[in-house]
Amino acid sequence: MTPLVRHSVFCLALGLWGINSPILLVLLISVVIGFAMVIVFAYTSDQKAIGIAKDQLKAHLLAVRLYQDQLPVVLKAYVRIIRGTGRYIRLAFKPLLLVIIPITIFMVQVDRYLGMMPVHAAEPFLVKVQTTGPDALNDVSLQLPPELTISAPPVHVPADNEIVWRLVATKDGTYDLNVASGGQTYAKRVVVSPNVNRLSPVRLRDQFLERFLSSAEPALPASSPIQSIAVTYLPRDIEFAWIEWNWIVLFFVLSLIAGFIFKEVLGIEI
Amino acid sequence: MLCETASVRATRSRAILAGLLVLGTVVLLPTPSHAYAGPGAGFAVLSSFWTLFVAFLYSMYAFMTWPFRHILRRSRRRKAYGKAQVKRVVILGFDGMDPELAGRFIKEGRLPNLAKLEQQGTFRPLRTTYPPISPVAWSTFMTGTNPGKHNIYDFLARDLNNYLPYLSSAEIKEPRRKLKLGKYTIPLGKAEIKNMRGGTPFWHWLGNAGIFCSVIRVPVTFPPEKFSGVLLSGMCVPDLKGSQGTFCFCSTRVNNDKFREGGVRVPIERQNGICRSYVPGPDDPLGTGKEMRAHFKVKPDLARNQAHIELDTESFTIKVGEYSEWISVKFSAGVGMSAHGIARFYLKELSPEVSVYVTPVNIDPGHPDLPISHPVTYSIYLAKLFGPYATLGLAEDTWALNEEVLDDKAFLEQAYGNHNDREKMLFDALEKTPEGLCACVFDTTDRVQHMFWRYLDDDHPAAREVPRDQRPTVIQDLYARMDDLIGRVMKQIDDKTLLMIVSDHGFQSFARCVNLNGWLYQNGYIALKAGKAESRDWFEDVDWSRTKAYTMGLNGLYLNIKGREREGIVEPGAEVEALKAELRAKLNGLADPASGNVGITGVFDCDAVYAGPYVENAPDLLVGYGKGFRASWDSVTGRVTTTIFEDNLKAWSGDHCVDPRLVPGVLFSNHKIAEEKLAIVDVAPTILKLFGLKLPGNFDGKPWTVNTSNLAKTA
Repeated sequence: MTPLVRHSVFCLALGLWGINSPILLVLLISVVIGFAMVIVFAYTSDQKAIGIAKDQLKAHLLAVRLYQDQLPVVLKAYVRIIRGTGRYIRLAFKPLLLVIIPITIFMVQVDRYLGMMPVHAAEPFLVKVQTTGPDALNDVSLQLPPELTISAPPVHVPADNEIVWRLVATKDGTYDLNVASGGQTYAKRVVVSPNVNRLSPVRLRDQFLERFLSSAEPALPASSPIQSIAVTYLPRDIEFAWIEWNWIVLFFVLSLIAGFIFKEVLGIEI
Repeated sequence: MLCETASVRATRSRAILAGLLVLGTVVLLPTPSHAYAGPGAGFAVLSSFWTLFVAFLYSMYAFMTWPFRHILRRSRRRKAYGKAQVKRVVILGFDGMDPELAGRFIKEGRLPNLAKLEQQGTFRPLRTTYPPISPVAWSTFMTGTNPGKHNIYDFLARDLNNYLPYLSSAEIKEPRRKLKLGKYTIPLGKAEIKNMRGGTPFWHWLGNAGIFCSVIRVPVTFPPEKFSGVLLSGMCVPDLKGSQGTFCFCSTRVNNDKFREGGVRVPIERQNGICRSYVPGPDDPLGTGKEMRAHFKVKPDLARNQAHIELDTESFTIKVGEYSEWISVKFSAGVGMSAHGIARFYLKELSPEVSVYVTPVNIDPGHPDLPISHPVTYSIYLAKLFGPYATLGLAEDTWALNEEVLDDKAFLEQAYGNHNDREKMLFDALEKTPEGLCACVFDTTDRVQHMFWRYLDDDHPAAREVPRDQRPTVIQDLYARMDDLIGRVMKQIDDKTLLMIVSDHGFQSFARCVNLNGWLYQNGYIALKAGKAESRDWFEDVDWSRTKAYTMGLNGLYLNIKGREREGIVEPGAEVEALKAELRAKLNGLADPASGNVGITGVFDCDAVYAGPYVENAPDLLVGYGKGFRASWDSVTGRVTTTIFEDNLKAWSGDHCVDPRLVPGVLFSNHKIAEEKLAIVDVAPTILKLFGLKLPGNFDGKPWTVNTSNLAKTA
């Protein structure tokens, strides 16, 4: 599946087509995921056992109140509360096991849209290239499209095998800048836009797990002297209820709220 | 089995390892992905965290205030336990346990634990009350007074304005403030509920002295009163309809007969293979005059001999001959108002007709619409701990068996299901009450003896067709089960605990009915309206202007006194006394012409029996029926018939609403009691004395001398 097709499917699946408001996107995703989690819980958990475990916990809590003047009884109730909590978490574990990987994959994809902001036109941004060794540093050059210009000479950081350029984009668009080294060129996508876009902050060589989490581009060839090409997109903060949130934290809170609402409406035990 | 266990263990280990690997992967990933677990982990973590947080808050409150409460308790304990002879008293109430039967079964070796108590402690008959009816006797048990001081003379009392019955133990009134909106009347506020029982239960005195009490299902404790302890109300708690138990029998069978007792017929309508019916509920609180209904569907599955039943709140599947679990039943009235209860469904038949029995809708103990415990959270605590349970006072549906809606097996399953729930509550209370009082009443003994005495009797008319050697040993098994319970309780208590087993009355056969209203009619004391030879329920055809005496309820005989009853004609004073004497003379020794056996062995003048502020509410005379006899089913409901004596053919074949001298209860104890003659009215003063408290001045009972020499004194 090409990145464009994947992007289209993703947007269509979530009805995100044409939505440019990050807060709205987080809200929509939270509601959908909250609902989905509740449904998964309903079908994969032992609802009866969870109901009983929760009831038992409530009973032991009430016992603390009812028999508060009898210390041995209260202490026993506490032991039972702790044991009961463990039992409850064990019961909630199974649905969690089933969803944790799909959710993780999903969140990785969403993070590409909401975790960072694209570069804005006329605002400088950095491009970092890391080579496999210090020798390759001298052989690296940048080939830019006309819409991107270098605003300051490159800075070499030999200790990290890094070269850093400061660039500026003149107008919005999606561009490929090329990094040349050892007679080969390696493209890196840069998105310049005020809207929500799918971003790939880094292109990597090998490092499968890191690529899965951070990169939306094909791996650099294994023989390449270039280890990584990174564009420093700024992290996105979303304003909600007069607070600036990282989207993941906001999603966590909103999806929990959505989940609790759906669980009440659908009568599902969690 | 071993291979299976190893295989299960291996599978579980693999699952745990997989889980740990996944979690480990998440943990090792860069920070943002921790939140990728999102709502899944969040739900479990939040719920657990919330529980622990609340527990922490409770604990902080409890620990910080504990020193002050401890000092206060210690100062009270010096008053309470300082002179106490015991650390703890456990009272097991076995409603209706009979001393003759107990003695017989002990001799037969069926009751080893009761035999042990008899040997090492005490076994005596326990004199009961006048009359020997559960609400009367248990009220005397708890208050230590005669009915003249606690106001309970029967399940029912009569309204002097219209001769109709009302529940004697509790009064439930609609909310005073209402808002009328068109055809609707919206209640503003809660129903007013009043406990009509007078007197003070002995656990109040104990609680005031700082002695913790757990009181479970003692009759006539609805609504529950505040005191220092926990209490779950017992007999006389109504169902959601406000009655003492109205079952519903839903069927596709057409039957226009009404049930004589305790139930309603509801048709099942069948369409396209799906059956529809409803459970009748309480009256609409919006004042439309209609009853609320909870509709349900029955989808038969003939191949599996089961049906799937769907209500608004829940759906479940049961097989023919099976009960469901307790099911939530919701009655919606509109304007956001609704009533919640619980009921069990029993699938009686599926083909060719469909019949479903539904128990009376009990108040949901987890979300009680009426107060059934003190504190309110106690019933909720028990429901959360053990699941839903029967809250109706008369929870075992004897009427359904009497009306042949249930068979013996289905009734016993229901009764013992309730009994098992009660046992769990008892053992929880024992664990939570290491000091103080723990009292728990079991109704199973009473209900099962009522319904199965026919198999014990040699010649009961309700079981003549069952050969002796084929008669089920229901009552023998019942006593053995109670004995087993005692054994388990004895293992839980130490030698610093005084154990008492108390019953409120004994039991006798109920083979012959005495229609006392019929006798009163034939002897000129009741007059009927012109053209009538009999009267329907509740004296509908009685001419009060010519009636001198009437009976309703189980043992009470009332004179139609001028100035007291609305249409009274008997002059107070000399005429009343003369009429009483006349009735006593005529009724005492009344013989059954069929056998010559004495149907009435005693008629007691209540003025001589009772003393106290409530004597004017008492009947005028108490009728003591002889061995094998009881008031007829018609007489109890105020019917007048031409037959005076007739066979009792119903499953309800044993009773105790007879001459009190014939049905004492039992008293077993793990310690010796010096007195020979013991009465139920003595229990309350005995308990207070054992805990070293001063006896209130209004007690009628006398405390026993209990040998507590091997019970250690508390500080």
